[in-house]
Amino acid sequence: MCRTLPRAKSNALQEIRHLRPELTSAHYLVAAFVSACALAAVLIGSAPLAASIATIFLFAGVHNFMEFRYFVARMPVRWGRSRLYYSVGIGGVIVLAVCYLTLYFASGKWMWSADSWAALTAAWDTAFVLWVGMLFYLRGRQRPRSDWSWAFAVVFLIAALAWAAPQYWSLSLVYLHPFVAMWFLERQIRRTKPEWLRAYHACLATIPVILIAIWFALARTPDLPSDTNLFWRITQHAGSEILPGVSSRLLVTTHVFLESIHYFVWILLIPLVDRRAIPWRLSEIPLFANAKGAPKLLVASIVVSLLIVAVLWGGFALDYTTTRDLYFAFAIGHVLAEFPFLVKML
Amino acid sequence: MLIAMTSLTALADVPRPKPKPTETPKQANVIDGRLNIYIKKDATEARLVISQDLIKPLRAQLDEMDNDNDAAGSLTKGDSGIFGRVQTIVSGAFLSLAIVFGGVWFFRSKRAADTRVKTVVMMIAVAGVASTATYVFANAGPPTTIRSITGKIFSEPVRNYGYAFGKIKIETAKDGGVTLIVPDVQDAPKSEE
Repeated sequence: MCRTLPRAKSNALQEIRHLRPELTSAHYLVAAFVSACALAAVLIGSAPLAASIATIFLFAGVHNFMEFRYFVARMPVRWGRSRLYYSVGIGGVIVLAVCYLTLYFASGKWMWSADSWAALTAAWDTAFVLWVGMLFYLRGRQRPRSDWSWAFAVVFLIAALAWAAPQYWSLSLVYLHPFVAMWFLERQIRRTKPEWLRAYHACLATIPVILIAIWFALARTPDLPSDTNLFWRITQHAGSEILPGVSSRLLVTTHVFLESIHYFVWILLIPLVDRRAIPWRLSEIPLFANAKGAPKLLVASIVVSLLIVAVLWGGFALDYTTTRDLYFAFAIGHVLAEFPFLVKML
Repeated sequence: MLIAMTSLTALADVPRPKPKPTETPKQANVIDGRLNIYIKKDATEARLVISQDLIKPLRAQLDEMDNDNDAAGSLTKGDSGIFGRVQTIVSGAFLSLAIVFGGVWFFRSKRAADTRVKTVVMMIAVAGVASTATYVFANAGPPTTIRSITGKIFSEPVRNYGYAFGKIKIETAKDGGVTLIVPDVQDAPKSEE
């Protein structure tokens, strides 16, 4: 009995020690994420047009570089049994990007009627969703005891919606794209920093709350000025023409807010949870470190990517509006490239 | 493929057709639209409210007028409304495919082995289709009289129903304000059903 008392006391102390709140890096993540989002929402909401211009100028090119760097790190040296998957994935990115750019740059030509342009755009949308469905199906075939043929039913439904309301489909892509970055981060945290997973889910849960706060605050505010070509392009990009009954200030704020989170995720959070995504850590990349890799080609492509970022900054400084239009046209490449890597991580 | 796509963008060697001299009468700039007319007791005057999506092409046409360019606007060039029909057909076809593929997948999956799950899913599917059919009124259209904008829009049957709707052509003119012209028909048009 006398021996059990000290042990019980020790256990109780241990329990007290465990119950004492201990700040971990996950707590810091939540605090930093929520504070940054709240601050961003206030700043963007008070000057949406300026915020749109500034964020694209500062982060657009850099986040594309970081994405490219991340995808390079994830690319295996030998595709092995994923040969078909990567062939469909990368082939689809190239074909769809070329078709998109063709449609984009040819849309104003005299040969194209409104009907033919609308039909070709809808055909591109269909090809895009079928390609994503095919990626899901191929990925499902690689997973034991799983049947992902449901993907076809889902993509046919999405294709039906895209044909029924093409303008809403295009707008939904604009608003859904930022969430893809958040999904990437979730998959990456599961792999390399699982102790952050619950905290990250809590962070994600705050985004709808902040969005609702933005919508309450800005729902009745007057539209933003669209008297210059640039301002008109920004408001139109956020959907002011498709949703004329909604304040363009609200739309632009929502769009810039989500885009900012997506930049923040690619530039800061993904390198934080995946050391292989840190730009200068090349030694851990299979394409660089493996004997069968292509280190010179890899370094050259990274240098070229950095040069493109610098050229983009120069273009923004010289003619912001034109560079912005060109950037968003070519940015389809990175939007498409995300899908093969994201689906592969599922 | 790259060359083919680039040639499309550059229009290859297809020459731009020489502009023909415009002859009178000049082709009117026409935009297809839709008109809803509500008969309200509290309204003191008739109003034609044009939404922003119509204002944009109208403004583009006004810009053309300012430039003394009376040719048909490029916005409506070739816009024959064919896409609208293709849109409905293709969308419907994809919806059918979604239902077929979804059904096949479900009945092949392990979940379908459970009769209770199968029954619940089928009930949800039937309820969903039935609700949608109710929502879109299936193919039971409203009375024929109110489905066209004619001289009958102010007749007793339409007044009893409260509103009428139908296709309308919107044109731009240098002056004359906004005018609503309706065909004067003696009998109600035949039902499309």
